[in-house]
Amino acid sequence: MFRTTAVRVHSLVKGALNISKPSVTTTRFMSSHSTETDEQFDARYENFFNRKDIDGWEIRQGINDLCGHDLVPEPKIVVAALKACRRVNDYALAIRILEAVKDKCGGKVNEIYPYIIQEVRPTLTELGIDTPEELGYDKPELALQSVYDIH
Amino acid sequence: MAGRLLSMRALPLRVSFQKASMSDMRSIIGNREIVGFGYNGQPNYADRPDFPLPAIRWKESTADIQALREKEKGDWRKLSLEEKKALYRASFCQTFSEMKAPTGEWKSVIGCALMLMSLGFWGYYFMKTFVYGPLPESFKEENRSAQLRRIIDLQVNPIQGLGSKWDYEKDEWKK
Repeated sequence: MFRTTAVRVHSLVKGALNISKPSVTTTRFMSSHSTETDEQFDARYENFFNRKDIDGWEIRQGINDLCGHDLVPEPKIVVAALKACRRVNDYALAIRILEAVKDKCGGKVNEIYPYIIQEVRPTLTELGIDTPEELGYDKPELALQSVYDIH
Repeated sequence: MAGRLLSMRALPLRVSFQKASMSDMRSIIGNREIVGFGYNGQPNYADRPDFPLPAIRWKESTADIQALREKEKGDWRKLSLEEKKALYRASFCQTFSEMKAPTGEWKSVIGCALMLMSLGFWGYYFMKTFVYGPLPESFKEENRSAQLRRIIDLQVNPIQGLGSKWDYEKDEWKK
């Protein structure tokens, strides 16, 4: 199992290094301070999700990585991720990605999230994806008893 | 001690440090589809805002969920609202808003803290009433004013302290 994980992480890393070849600065895993520009970062993730042969595992890995960074993803990365979800036929994944992007907005969710939805709206109508608000998932729907309260 | 060593040898060796193998995990997660790396590489499920996509789907694959998956391969506009919600709940346990909903735990925390504080106050009152002896004579008002008169007469701290605030000409506090 770890071998397959290592192969997938290796392909993610290879994809990252391949894309930034034409530019002057590349991401090398030597120090924690990266010399990648914002455009290179966006392009790296957009190209990663735009791969034709991507599968559900890689999309999830990419989104989990993306959410680890201290930023709100650019709309074009979100668009690429949603199209990737369409290719792997996973609707719940698309909704989860939109919820995760909304969560990344942090305190400024009322300023940033409507902008992202506005930019992503053409893709949403093209693929037939509802926003979490349209599904009714912006408010809690079901309640779950906390595991600490179960005796 | 020798008895304890002998009984330790009787324990099965695989108990403490062996990692859960794939067959152990399969028996724990059952029929659920493993879909990703998750937050630590193990095929487990956790609703975490910082790792939004867990390693396994939430529900086991049943016949009706399989039917929904077939429909999912077609146009998503043809899915009804219930089907979309069912697809979401099949993959995920809680939505983000349910995950991050306030629990109200702060009220129980403040309540318990105040109750314990009140126990403390009752304890002090009990000690004062039944345990501590009376205060010494020197705490009485007339004893304290006599001490203050003596401090002034001795010219204690005459430069910047108490003696500096007394007017020795007029025998009263300085204005």
